[in-house]
Amino acid sequence: MDRETVERVARTAHIRLTEDEIARYSSDLAEILTYFELLDEAPGNDRRGINPIEVADVLRDDEPRMEMDPDVLLRDMETYERYVRGPRLS
Amino acid sequence: MSMRSTLETLERVNSKYLMFHAKTSDTDPGDARFLFSAKDNLTSKDMETCAGSRILEGYFPPFDATVIARMREAGGKLIGKTNMDEFGFGTFSTNSGLEVPRNPFDLERACGGSSGGSACAAAVFEDHPSLGVSTGGSICCPASFCGVYGIAPTYGRVSRYGLIDYGNSLDKIGVLSSKAGDLRRYINIIAGRDEKDPTSCVQPELKDERTPVRSVAVPKEGVEGLSKNVEAAFTNALDELRRMGIEVETVDMPSLKYAMPAYYVLATSEASTNLARYVGMRYGRQDGDLSLKFDDYFSDVRSRYFGDEAKRRILLGTFTRMVGYSDRYYSKARQVREVVIDDYKRVLRDHDAVLAPTMPFTAPRFDDISKMSALDSYKADYLTVPANLAGVPHLNVPCGYDGDGMPIGMQFVADHWNENALFTMAEDWEKEFDLRRPEVSA
Amino acid sequence: MKIGLEIHVQLPTKSKMFCSCPTTEAPGPNTHVCPTCLGMPGSRPVLNRKVLEYGIMLAKMLGCKVADTAWFSRKTYFYPDMSKSVQITQYDNPIGEGGVYYLGDKPIRITRIHVEEDPGKTKRTGDLSSLVDYNRSGIPLAEIVTEPDMKTPAEAREVLKSLIEDIRTVLDIPGDGERSIRCDCNISVGKERVEVKNVTGLKNVEKALTYEVVRQSKILKAGGKVDRETRRFDEERGVTISVRKKEFEADYGYIDEPDLGVYHIREMAESIRIRESPQKMAARMAGQYGIDQKMAKQLVNTSVDLAGLFENVAGKHGTQAAVKWVAGPVSSNWKSLDASGADVKGVIGIIDRFVAGEITDTECGIEIKCLMTGEDPEKAAEASGDLDKIVSDYLDQNPGIVDDYRKNEKAANKAIGFVMKSSGGRYSSSEVVDAVKRLIESRL
Repeated sequence: MDRETVERVARTAHIRLTEDEIARYSSDLAEILTYFELLDEAPGNDRRGINPIEVADVLRDDEPRMEMDPDVLLRDMETYERYVRGPRLS
Repeated sequence: MSMRSTLETLERVNSKYLMFHAKTSDTDPGDARFLFSAKDNLTSKDMETCAGSRILEGYFPPFDATVIARMREAGGKLIGKTNMDEFGFGTFSTNSGLEVPRNPFDLERACGGSSGGSACAAAVFEDHPSLGVSTGGSICCPASFCGVYGIAPTYGRVSRYGLIDYGNSLDKIGVLSSKAGDLRRYINIIAGRDEKDPTSCVQPELKDERTPVRSVAVPKEGVEGLSKNVEAAFTNALDELRRMGIEVETVDMPSLKYAMPAYYVLATSEASTNLARYVGMRYGRQDGDLSLKFDDYFSDVRSRYFGDEAKRRILLGTFTRMVGYSDRYYSKARQVREVVIDDYKRVLRDHDAVLAPTMPFTAPRFDDISKMSALDSYKADYLTVPANLAGVPHLNVPCGYDGDGMPIGMQFVADHWNENALFTMAEDWEKEFDLRRPEVSA
Repeated sequence: MKIGLEIHVQLPTKSKMFCSCPTTEAPGPNTHVCPTCLGMPGSRPVLNRKVLEYGIMLAKMLGCKVADTAWFSRKTYFYPDMSKSVQITQYDNPIGEGGVYYLGDKPIRITRIHVEEDPGKTKRTGDLSSLVDYNRSGIPLAEIVTEPDMKTPAEAREVLKSLIEDIRTVLDIPGDGERSIRCDCNISVGKERVEVKNVTGLKNVEKALTYEVVRQSKILKAGGKVDRETRRFDEERGVTISVRKKEFEADYGYIDEPDLGVYHIREMAESIRIRESPQKMAARMAGQYGIDQKMAKQLVNTSVDLAGLFENVAGKHGTQAAVKWVAGPVSSNWKSLDASGADVKGVIGIIDRFVAGEITDTECGIEIKCLMTGEDPEKAAEASGDLDKIVSDYLDQNPGIVDDYRKNEKAANKAIGFVMKSSGGRYSSSEVVDAVKRLIESRL
């Protein structure tokens, strides 16, 4: 994988890479993708296959209920007046 | 060893083998009927749960995973959370952001992965079921390296509620133990529908019955690239099976060679979306500089706390599902999984199980592992990956030891939902096999 | 000029899309939350059946082809309000595709409709960091995407207004102000398309689009080139602002959502009957009963119940009786039902008796009025008698009006004007209109 692609992928994935890492991952990923070329020759199939077994029609009724005390969920979160703290938006 | 003495020596045993990241400090088993441990990617209310990652340090889940809740309800006492490769990303448990477990047969060697700590605990403690998780072979591989029994049941057999996801279409929770009978016993406790995990709600009932294996198929593709001692032990094991009256036939499974790339594409595609939630908010590490813009803040925390292999798999998985590439990688991999499933179904029409060695070599030394490239270690999974990709149940039985006394294992694979064939096979095999326990001095 | 809309509507479920948290007003920030909508490690989604049902209802309302099998996809993007950094949505198989929505006679093509989860809400703080409330996280949304078939900002607003009314009727959503409508607007004055993201409310949609028309026209007139880009609408200043490209350039990297599996919804879709939207009902009634478009619309817009009553009477006694009574005195007294609390179904019995010849024309009109307003029938009869007498006397003296009325209904206006004037405001205009029309028609 070339350097430019690695940088683009890293940006999309929100991973910041050092120069060393860029060099290392480019060469590792290039090697791995070369191996993945096997897929090009593999036979295809029409089934969608989201899961290895068919998981179908599992639904929940529309009944509201609180599963857990929200205070317990917020216990270890960084909060301010019950709002979860996050970084700057713009 | 009594439950009390296990608890009393826990600290010392763990300092030698490093199987646990978090563990109980109780020395009194109370009214527990048995002790168990669980891989650290299964959420537990009373113990920190990190899935081997520094980014989750400090996470005390507010809920128990369904499997842990069911083990507790059955009288189990959770004694520790077992070390693992970060989020399950590895074959040797050396990709842990926390502690790396040591092989009970040789402390200079790896336990295998990614459920390395679970295999270690199952080998070291007597009568000890440990819950593991397999995505591409993470139960059978360490079971093989540590010389214990281990089963990954059918995908969807056991609820994944409370499992910290690696690849949601691949992850399966199972059991490791030095006793074959424990696999049946504890899978029966943790299996079954759970309305909190839709994929567990389509399973047929798991009946507690004997289903003897009368014929096994050995795929040609499964006996290639083996080390000498593994090949020898496997050949002996096949002879033993024949002596037990089981028919052994060699078959072709041409799709198996495509399973590896398909697995890594699906697993990393899904993993990269699962790991997107770790951004330094809400849980785990929340110690970044909030005055940074969100993109920078997220990147900062993620780059700091994800380990090398996690970053590699995030990059790989992000790439394989990108516009312009996802047809070639992600979509094709999904199709190849169907082809592999068809191949298993074809062979399992005429045979009760598919059999091959679990790993092509015995537990490697840590210094040899550090010399392997990423692709080398991916390729080491070629025997365990196909069954995992297909979601079919598979079970490791110890089948020999090499010249250094390191365990060798083989893996039986049965059709979807047919765990009983595997349980029965393991129970029958146990009667014929002389299992060695590691010398444990604590 | 071409305008297309992507409209987000919250679906009126009682619990969230993938967890059981209530969707009602929360007592405080992060009080209607659970591990699933907070995206906690180990949590899992379980789909609310009602979300599929509502999605199918909207797809049907918009004349879309409903998918046989539905599944969900993961859309990955990073923002503080998106708890998993993944939105569960529908990507390559929306619940409905290829529909059409009529604004009057004008077709607006519907590209697709899909269901997805809403993110939480962020707010800014003084120290530049953000605060997040995840109560909204996981509320089900439908996203409706139209083709660029609208020609002006005003038309876009009309379409949106009428579409939202229809959606509220079909899904039985109480009107809770226009703020809950969120829209992405695509507009191209020249060749390049500009997207204005996340505009809230009808007025803002028109404002944002109008601003874009002016901005893009100016650029084109000066010989410049409009950038194909994403902008956002600044409500306070009434302008659209270019969003730095990077922010929306995200590669979402869609994959299937393996935690949910698939849903075979054909049977569900076949069993779901939807309430007809007001627009469709008016169009159908005009055709079915051969009444004027205007009258049909007026009935439906007054109330879907009034239109229903019209259909009921027309079915029983023919269109003529329905026009005469339901579109006449029932319609003109409709507003008084709020105050009187009367059950309007009672008028059917009155009309039955009229058709059976048990009561006269005049009595029928009075009884209907009294039923609806709660007035005393005797007084009303007296007053009405007076009114009828004034009208009849006038028509006796001016028989030409009846002949003129045959050619043009406006001829009645002369009589109406006279009666209003001579009665000195004793009767409401609707009463006079009713009486004049009724008495003219009885002489035809």
